[in-house]
Amino acid sequence: MYRFRASFGVAIAAAMLAACGSDSPTAAPSTSTARGTLAISPPLRIASADAATFQAQLSASTLGADLLQITGAPTCGIDFYYIRFWTVGAAKEMTESSGALMVPTGAAPACSGPRPIVLYAHGPQFEKAFNIADITDTTNTEGALIAATFAAQGYIVVAPNFAGYDISTLGYFPFLNATQQSGEMIDALAAARTALPTTFAASTTDSGKLFLTGYSGGAFAAMATQRALEAAGKTVTAAAPMSGPYALEALFDAIVTGNVDLGSTLFAPLVTTSYQHAYGNIYSVTTDFYSATYATGIDTLLPTTTTPYTALFQRGLLPETALFDSTTPVVTVPGDPMLSAELTALLAVPSNPANPLTPLFAEGFGTPYLINNSVRVGYTLDAAANPDGTATGSASLAAVAPTYPLRLALYTNDLRNGSWAPNSPTLMCGGENDPTVFFSVDTGTMAAFWSTLPAGLVTVLDVDPAAGPSGPFAAIQAGFQASQAQEFAFLQTAAGGGLSAAAAKQQLVEEYHGTSVPPFCSLAARTFFSQF
Amino acid sequence: MTKFALRALPVALLTLTASLARADQIPNNTVRIGEYWVFYHVSADDISGPYVPPGLNLDVGNVHTPYFAYLRRLSTHFTAELAFGIPPLTKTYGRGPATVGSIPYNGQEISTARWFAPTALIEYVFFDESHRLRPYIGVGVNYTKLYDRDSTAAGNALSGGPTSLSLPVSVGVAGTAGVSYRLPHNWSVMASYSASQVRSRLTADTAGVLRTTEISFGPQTLVIAAGFSF
Repeated sequence: MYRFRASFGVAIAAAMLAACGSDSPTAAPSTSTARGTLAISPPLRIASADAATFQAQLSASTLGADLLQITGAPTCGIDFYYIRFWTVGAAKEMTESSGALMVPTGAAPACSGPRPIVLYAHGPQFEKAFNIADITDTTNTEGALIAATFAAQGYIVVAPNFAGYDISTLGYFPFLNATQQSGEMIDALAAARTALPTTFAASTTDSGKLFLTGYSGGAFAAMATQRALEAAGKTVTAAAPMSGPYALEALFDAIVTGNVDLGSTLFAPLVTTSYQHAYGNIYSVTTDFYSATYATGIDTLLPTTTTPYTALFQRGLLPETALFDSTTPVVTVPGDPMLSAELTALLAVPSNPANPLTPLFAEGFGTPYLINNSVRVGYTLDAAANPDGTATGSASLAAVAPTYPLRLALYTNDLRNGSWAPNSPTLMCGGENDPTVFFSVDTGTMAAFWSTLPAGLVTVLDVDPAAGPSGPFAAIQAGFQASQAQEFAFLQTAAGGGLSAAAAKQQLVEEYHGTSVPPFCSLAARTFFSQF
Repeated sequence: MTKFALRALPVALLTLTASLARADQIPNNTVRIGEYWVFYHVSADDISGPYVPPGLNLDVGNVHTPYFAYLRRLSTHFTAELAFGIPPLTKTYGRGPATVGSIPYNGQEISTARWFAPTALIEYVFFDESHRLRPYIGVGVNYTKLYDRDSTAAGNALSGGPTSLSLPVSVGVAGTAGVSYRLPHNWSVMASYSASQVRSRLTADTAGVLRTTEISFGPQTLVIAAGFSF
């Protein structure tokens, strides 16, 4: 019996000892939370598509098929990685952030080996769950755009989601904060460079060439990053910010004085909250700045967990267009009735029939409205006392720093601040009829500000020139204008909704900044980068 | 350790044969050794979680493994059985679309695990000890622990990176039907067919991203074994 029991026991022991074997591990989180540290290595690959599969997936939707016509057929496959990294918020709060690392794959020579990196900053997003790495999300059009434009043509793409989005526990987005956003871009780049050798496509390596780009608010971040990297003596091969608000002081001077841009009721809380966290002096209580109708909770409203974000309008948490009070405030400059009258007139609801954007601007006024008249008055008095150069015939920032807190914050973050000029080749692309980020106020001001730089260092591209296509990007300009004409005609067909000509024109205006210009400027950026 | 156990057990049985064959009474104890074949009838929810396209499901490959059992006679008609096997390496395969993106999925071996699955049964044995051929039926409890859970290279490619798998222990009902045939000198041969309820929640962790599915393995087992009673 003893031996039997022993044998039986051995069998049990064999089974139990085997049970002590090891399971396969997953990626380990980093023990360091230093900024720029890859939080989890290796990163998650969300999806992998060879060139044919990616092309087929894009072709399956109208938008994707249109995009392919602009960007061209993919040369490379793409591995889409989700990177998590450590960075800091506007007040140096430590936070984890996330983003995309898109790695080209495939046998073509342009798809492996040493490849250039495109560091991309996305435009403003209003939903907290935004994740540019999630290519499986059909609403992630910006991710698809940069994948098709850059990664599918052999560029390694790094694109942070930015603190405040996705997994970040930061309760706000440091929107238009040059120091934070450039720092986070650099942190994302460092984390991506750490991640790259650990990916499935480890044969694709960093060639050392670095291109910077971004769209809208992301263009601001990209240009701020260019400034920061150049200041640090780091290589920037070239940059191509697109449709960005670079001259913040000039842009907001225009908005406050009645040129209310499309989307402003969403942008205003983002930027105000950002600067309140950075500087703490935009308001003491939210009702100092916002009307009582919307003040409660607005400092935590965006980015929102409400999907879609447009439900915020239906729920009465934001006005759809009424940024300002339709009752014009009276500005009083002690001892100067003429200036008082002039400034009061500046704050009136726009009515100039000669300006095609007047109807759009006028929609920025109403009741209930978002921002108190007292803000407009204080801001305008400061602008009158410390005028931006664009108001006095130059392209410079105000000669003396503003005193009104919001305007001072804009001045501080304005990319003309410090008289910075790029020393790496830069293309600024946009469309001159942009109703959201005014081309002449932003791109035009920066071009004028840098007009004395060596020829060829800064290139300006208007994809929608009134004079018609010309120059090295004429094909892109012609393509943009043809697509606008096609869309205008399509919208008036039954398939396009049977809109009237006026309604179709309005829809083109609404799509101009967010939908129409990005693929053409992205193509221009890629064309520009390909020279280096 | 496993090979040692396999070699040691027959030696022990021979020793027992020599020392106990003379017993002139109905033996109360039986040990069995044989082979059992496990046929899985998998039913699983589609895998859910971040970045998972719809329609991804799983299948499990059938296995066979050495079988061991200890039986204790409780009465003429009732027997208690503890059955187990050398934990087989069980392979899980993707079931669904041919590819996920460009990564092959359907039919790919995506993970492996060893099954430690002892089953305790109470069996009703028909006829009495004078019959050489005795059918039986039984019910009991199955305990299943899956260990050495590995995501394969193909599984890691599909999941997006190194992946850890968790599958909590399952305890479920088991049933069996079989027949034994008594041979001279306290030896016997037997065959049975059993079914067990094995349910678990598979969680795959890839870089902190969790994907899950509820899975019912539905194992059915065919056993053919030799027994020795003492």
